[in-house]
Amino acid sequence: MLEQLAQLADPIGAVIGFLLTVMVLSYIIGDNFLFRLAVHIFIGVASGYAAVLILYNVLWYQVLVPVLQILSGDKFTDLTSYVISVVPAVILGFWMFTKASPRTARWGTPVLAFLAGVGAATVVVGAIRGTIFPQVGASVNILNIQSSPPELNKLVGWFINGLIILVGTVTTLIYFNFGIKRQEEGVPVQRSVFMGYLSTVGQGFIVITLGVLFTGVYIATLTSLIDRIRFLWDVILRFI
Amino acid sequence: MAEIICPLCGKPNPPELDECQYCQAPLKSGGFLPSAPEDIEAEGTSPLSEVEDKAGAEPSTPKPAAYPEESIPDWLKATEAGFTQPSEEEPEATPPEDLTEQIDSIINPPDSTPTSQEGAVDDDWLDSLLADAGAGEPEALSNEEEPAEKSEVEPEPSAEEIEQEVSPKEEQTASQELFDKPDWLANLEASSTIKLEGGMFGAEPGQEEIAPKEVPEEESPEPIDQPDWLNKVLPEEQPESAEEPEEGLAAAELPTWLEALRPPEATSPTGPVEDISSAEVVTAGPLSGLRGVISAQPSAIRPQKPPTYSIKLRVTDEQQARMQMMEELLADEGKPKPLPAQHVITSQNILRLIIAIVLLLPMVWMIIGKRQQTSMPQPGNVPGVVDFTQSIQNLPPGAVVLVAFDYEAGFAGEMNLAVTNVISQLMNKNAYLTLVSTISSGPAMAESVIKATYTELGGAQEGYVDYANLGYIPGGTMGLLGLVNSPKSILPYSLDGSNVWAGAPLNSITSIEGFSAVVVMTNDPDTARIWIEQAGPKLLGAGTPLLIVTSAQAEPLIRPYFKSSPAQVQGLIAGLTGGIAYARTFGNTQVNGEWDAFSAGITISVLILLIGSIAGVLVKMLPDNRKKES
Repeated sequence: MLEQLAQLADPIGAVIGFLLTVMVLSYIIGDNFLFRLAVHIFIGVASGYAAVLILYNVLWYQVLVPVLQILSGDKFTDLTSYVISVVPAVILGFWMFTKASPRTARWGTPVLAFLAGVGAATVVVGAIRGTIFPQVGASVNILNIQSSPPELNKLVGWFINGLIILVGTVTTLIYFNFGIKRQEEGVPVQRSVFMGYLSTVGQGFIVITLGVLFTGVYIATLTSLIDRIRFLWDVILRFI
Repeated sequence: MAEIICPLCGKPNPPELDECQYCQAPLKSGGFLPSAPEDIEAEGTSPLSEVEDKAGAEPSTPKPAAYPEESIPDWLKATEAGFTQPSEEEPEATPPEDLTEQIDSIINPPDSTPTSQEGAVDDDWLDSLLADAGAGEPEALSNEEEPAEKSEVEPEPSAEEIEQEVSPKEEQTASQELFDKPDWLANLEASSTIKLEGGMFGAEPGQEEIAPKEVPEEESPEPIDQPDWLNKVLPEEQPESAEEPEEGLAAAELPTWLEALRPPEATSPTGPVEDISSAEVVTAGPLSGLRGVISAQPSAIRPQKPPTYSIKLRVTDEQQARMQMMEELLADEGKPKPLPAQHVITSQNILRLIIAIVLLLPMVWMIIGKRQQTSMPQPGNVPGVVDFTQSIQNLPPGAVVLVAFDYEAGFAGEMNLAVTNVISQLMNKNAYLTLVSTISSGPAMAESVIKATYTELGGAQEGYVDYANLGYIPGGTMGLLGLVNSPKSILPYSLDGSNVWAGAPLNSITSIEGFSAVVVMTNDPDTARIWIEQAGPKLLGAGTPLLIVTSAQAEPLIRPYFKSSPAQVQGLIAGLTGGIAYARTFGNTQVNGEWDAFSAGITISVLILLIGSIAGVLVKMLPDNRKKES
């Protein structure tokens, strides 16, 4: 019976996928019931799957299974590590339930403060160590002659490429510099002409960057559309 | 030769001058020669000056009038005397050689007021005075002649005598007599009275100087002793007469030599003087009765009963109407409003359908026909693919590789080509795959890809066994940092519940550097950046390659990490182009029409954008639209 269901699962899944794909593509003629139904199904399925996954993968295997193992007496030596790592997390997790009621919501503020503080520290330190310092160093060394290619034809390209990157970096940073010297009272605040020109160049680089990002999004979407068309044709061929 | 005293400023002038050399006042008509004392004594006194004298201290001795002009009434003579007397007395009373006597007279004023004296009357002066006062009233002047003669003959009584002896009938007669005067004459008399009370006439200069400063108003001769008829005549001029002489005397009659001898203490204060006349008088406390001081009992701290306020809310009709309007607005918020009916066939819908058909038809045709006419991307022309391939090839057989499935199912069509090729290469290397994910749908995607890839490879029926799906990493960035530092504590069990860390090959791994390679598959540039930032430094230090398979939309943001020196990402496959290029490195070139469809779609999209842009510019350049914009 299970083997028969397993054999049917693939064609049933294919049919469901075919129908849902058509329902989503029906948005070509505008917003309609089929499109909204497909979107609601996707949201519901994704939420349900995430809830089950968290209960199964996190709460069960990371919180309850170690307790059961300790109670069974199999691994008493892990009790210390478990108490150190899991018990505080469980306490803080239950503490967060105070946010469920407006009366007790303020009692859960320390937990949120702890999460926000640790999260901010993690992100900031990671950005400094993983992005800012390495990227600044790479930009500084982009025209380093020691890293230049030995061939003359490649050297010209390397120099032009490095120059464009350097100019783009500097002018883009200038564009985001809004500091202006204090003027006399009544005198309109204005950027210097030189900085204005550099800012315009930086603005051009930003426009090109946004255009490239939009192009990437469009290419990704077009690739997904092609994949769906191929899937539909495969399903049709399968049942024909 | 005698000097002429100016009637206005009182200063002596040479006799040959017609006008005062100080104030340019006419001297011939108003100036007076200082007359002899006997002449002064021979002159009579006016009734008003006599009254003033009586109010001062002693009654003056009545003297018969000796005017040559008989027609001038006595009251008018008294007026003239008031003007002339001080001018005549001044040079006589203050000779320069009698300085000591004058100073003594200033310090110790005489007890008795000197007798009022009349100066000589100048006809010109009188004529000018009459002309100023109203020359057109000669009849009125003649009517007043008889009562003035009476007062001239009769001896003047003292103030007490006037109060005691004057009968009501006489009072009525006198007042009636005064009230019968015309206005112009009353004004003239009043003006002379003001000057008389100001001390210009009938007093010694020294006394005139000191009296306004030393004698307070309350102690000065008050009109208490004056008869009633005089009080009726001068009801409003009393306060003015008390102030006016103070200013006039100080400026006009103090000689220069006396000014020089004046002690500094006697000079008027130069600092500001606070006017407390309008200040409030303290009515309670120890400072009661004082003016201009702060009360010791302020009203703010006085115990008093607090006021009672009504707690009833007063709402006007307008406020009530607004409340009702607000309630209606709030009630309407919860009611669903029907959407306006949309027309199915609109120009926008038609344009959308045209674009979809133009875009879809060529792609469908390419896929159905499985055409492969356009040249496929070469691995060497796509940056990162060769490096990715070399990193995979450099892995030892049976290496433990951490694979992160962090892409959504919607991007499976774009990424699956590269992902399946990478997984198949790792399987060919017999690598032990440790599957993790920072998104909830990742573990399911990982299971699906592993099964599909192994099936394509023609593997055994039981499936690929050298992998562990550790599932979902909770906590986002913090969870990922925990995985980098201690993967065992973050994900202790696999999805099937087995303790994979207890056995080989994961039992030797304590941190992320223990893996032979880390492959991150994501469509989100932020997720890729977090992996680079959190795991990159440790992997770079340990020499473990970090390889990324990503979508085309994330490539521009991840490529700088690959291009940096030293490279933070050792291999990069991006989008369909990267996937095809990577597949070609292994000779896996599927001919399913996708690449042709992709090329056609890109080309048509560019054409649509160009045509749309040109059409938009042309439409804007139409005259009608220009008019609308202007």
